[in-house]
Amino acid sequence: MSKNLLKIVAMAALGASVASAGFAGNANNTVSSSRYVPTVWVDPDGCEHWVMDDGAEGYMTPHVTREGIPVCQRGNTCAVMNSDQLFAVDKWHLNAANRARLQAFFRDSGASVYLIDGHTDSDASDAYNMRLSKNRAMAVASIAQSAGAKAQARWYGERVPVASNSTRAGKAKNRRVEIQCIR
Amino acid sequence: MTFMKATSVVLLAISVAGCDVPKQNKTVDNFIDSKHLSQLKAGIWVDPNGCDHWIIDDGVEGYLSARMDRYGKPVCSGVAQPNTASGAYKSGSPVGDII
Repeated sequence: MSKNLLKIVAMAALGASVASAGFAGNANNTVSSSRYVPTVWVDPDGCEHWVMDDGAEGYMTPHVTREGIPVCQRGNTCAVMNSDQLFAVDKWHLNAANRARLQAFFRDSGASVYLIDGHTDSDASDAYNMRLSKNRAMAVASIAQSAGAKAQARWYGERVPVASNSTRAGKAKNRRVEIQCIR
Repeated sequence: MTFMKATSVVLLAISVAGCDVPKQNKTVDNFIDSKHLSQLKAGIWVDPNGCDHWIIDDGVEGYLSARMDRYGKPVCSGVAQPNTASGAYKSGSPVGDII
């Protein structure tokens, strides 16, 4: 009782002195604001978050680019599968050999969940490619589930290329299924 | 004895924290569990939709931030039931919770 009370009193005393902080006005800005400069905390996945300690309050928010992409020092990508080796052109059927190969991968990787991300090159329309990458990602995710793993399919069509779509080699690289292993 | 200990802890806290009041440097914890904020220890809180957030209970400060995949989508790992927290998220600070 006395210990907790003392802590509360101490916090209140600290709070009182913090509360006297003024607002730093800015001639170029009609909104008065205080200076809050964050530092970076890196989460166990390797992604950055803005973090601030304001005395008795803590604040944190993910560090994302203006495009909304998290800033990470490393990622959880554990496999990038070339679509040409898994599927026929414009198809999402998996043959027996590829099913067995994928099942072995999901059995051995030991993640708590697999995020399956489908991508295509820029041939055909955006809508067509969104549909194709969805069907392919879902086909791979269903193999994960059949192997007893948790998996979630996501798809990006031609919108997230990793190489130039103006060369054959670049297009082949963009046709892919990425797997993120979440531990 | 407990009272003496508590008093000295409070005095130490005030003397350490007193160096930067009002607190200008938001990148460090100046309380008795002082450290740079890059050293925080997180656990996972699972929201009602089943998606993960990093949770940190660092003495008198609490932090919560979304766990996202490389595309910025939520990670819903299923490591724990919705509305639960798991992991060593209270391990980064010797300062206990008042309540």
